[in-house]
Amino acid sequence: MSTTDIAGEIRAYVVGQFLAGEDTTDLTGDYDLIDSGVIDSLGLVRLLSHLTRAFDIAVDDIELTPDNFRTLDSITAVVEAHAPVRAA
Amino acid sequence: MTDDLFHLTAPWAQQLNADTRELDAAGAFPHDKWKVLQETGLLRTHFAPEFGGAGHGVTATMRALEGLGYVCHDAGLSFSASTQIVSVGVPLQRFGSQELKERHLPRIMSGEAITAHAITEESGGSDAMNLAATARRDGDHYVVSGGKMFITNAPVADLFLLYVRTGKPGPFGLTTLLVEAATPGLTAGPAMDKIGLRTSPVGTLSFDELRVPVSQRVGQEGTGFLILDHVMKREVLFGFSITLGEMTRRLEETIAYAGKRHQFGQPIGSYQAVSHKIADMKMRVETARKWLADTGVKVEAGQDASLDLAATKTIVSEANVQTALDAVQIHGGRGVLTEHGIERDLRNSIAGTIYSGTSEIQRNRIATLLGL
Repeated sequence: MSTTDIAGEIRAYVVGQFLAGEDTTDLTGDYDLIDSGVIDSLGLVRLLSHLTRAFDIAVDDIELTPDNFRTLDSITAVVEAHAPVRAA
Repeated sequence: MTDDLFHLTAPWAQQLNADTRELDAAGAFPHDKWKVLQETGLLRTHFAPEFGGAGHGVTATMRALEGLGYVCHDAGLSFSASTQIVSVGVPLQRFGSQELKERHLPRIMSGEAITAHAITEESGGSDAMNLAATARRDGDHYVVSGGKMFITNAPVADLFLLYVRTGKPGPFGLTTLLVEAATPGLTAGPAMDKIGLRTSPVGTLSFDELRVPVSQRVGQEGTGFLILDHVMKREVLFGFSITLGEMTRRLEETIAYAGKRHQFGQPIGSYQAVSHKIADMKMRVETARKWLADTGVKVEAGQDASLDLAATKTIVSEANVQTALDAVQIHGGRGVLTEHGIERDLRNSIAGTIYSGTSEIQRNRIATLLGL
């Protein structure tokens, strides 16, 4: 998957699961999903579960730090670090 | 290898089961039996060889703990052993600095340092994202204030992993700190009397300007929830593997009793009212076994197991209560007498639907993961 594909898939998941029916115009790549309350603790568990399934990443391989899961950009970077990426 | 691990603690069965009834009545932590557990090597099972551990993975460790549950009639002791493995050792191995691992893992896996983790507070434990105990930075220390409640092993523990708030409510507001029991500002209350698991002491902790060096933080600041999630997976799998062993033994004992106890000229097991109860017990035990095995494999492989863990925890804990009730009923008068240990099994089973996330919380989790 390309970086663009990964970012698109993650955005689609976050919007579909946590922002369904809402205006997501302001959802930029650096929007803080945690402080804004878009993703809560169980949401984080669900997101992690989704990433392991969608990108075939083992949970124990992911560096579990807050900064890795705050924004769409940081989540994309985590996935890129663990999934083979080809040029977009 | 895995089957060898099931039998790991069997040679110590007689010592592990000594005076269980009396210790249960007294509600006393069995320090002598803890020394026996140290001898068995069980506490080393899951830890890395570089620190002196046996290096076994999740499923092999589960098998060893199932064996403990099968052999050991002292469920409180087994519960404290599981807490010893998961509370500090597991998170330290995965998230701790090399210095902390080298200093503490050998003490933990030898059993020399009894450990506990402190999450639940007086206001509750289910809402772990809104803990009140706080830690503020003061130079190269954290200063911790507040308290904890219902902490397994707390009255006898030497080493604690504290889950404290360092940020706003939410998944990144928690941080974990490793603290020695003797640290000024940390007070452990006496053991609290309870219905079951009476040899596993539970108590309170209070923090009064408790100063903890930043170097004793486990993981990054704000990573507490992710550490908790990692720990809870293993807490469920390890703790309820012990339960599976206990249920297996209970089933075997109940079948044997139903075969030898006669009423109206026949073994009571020949009556459908009894045999169907035993059939139900068997189905519950094997359902628990399959869920534990399947979920254990998933966790070991690093696969998504969030829903599986919630289901496993609920299924096994509720099966434990029901099979204990069935065993009491089938044993009749013997079932309610303390001398036979059947009623103790029932009392020990009750808390399982509460600790490690209540059945209600687990069902909430399942529903949410189903998108409801």
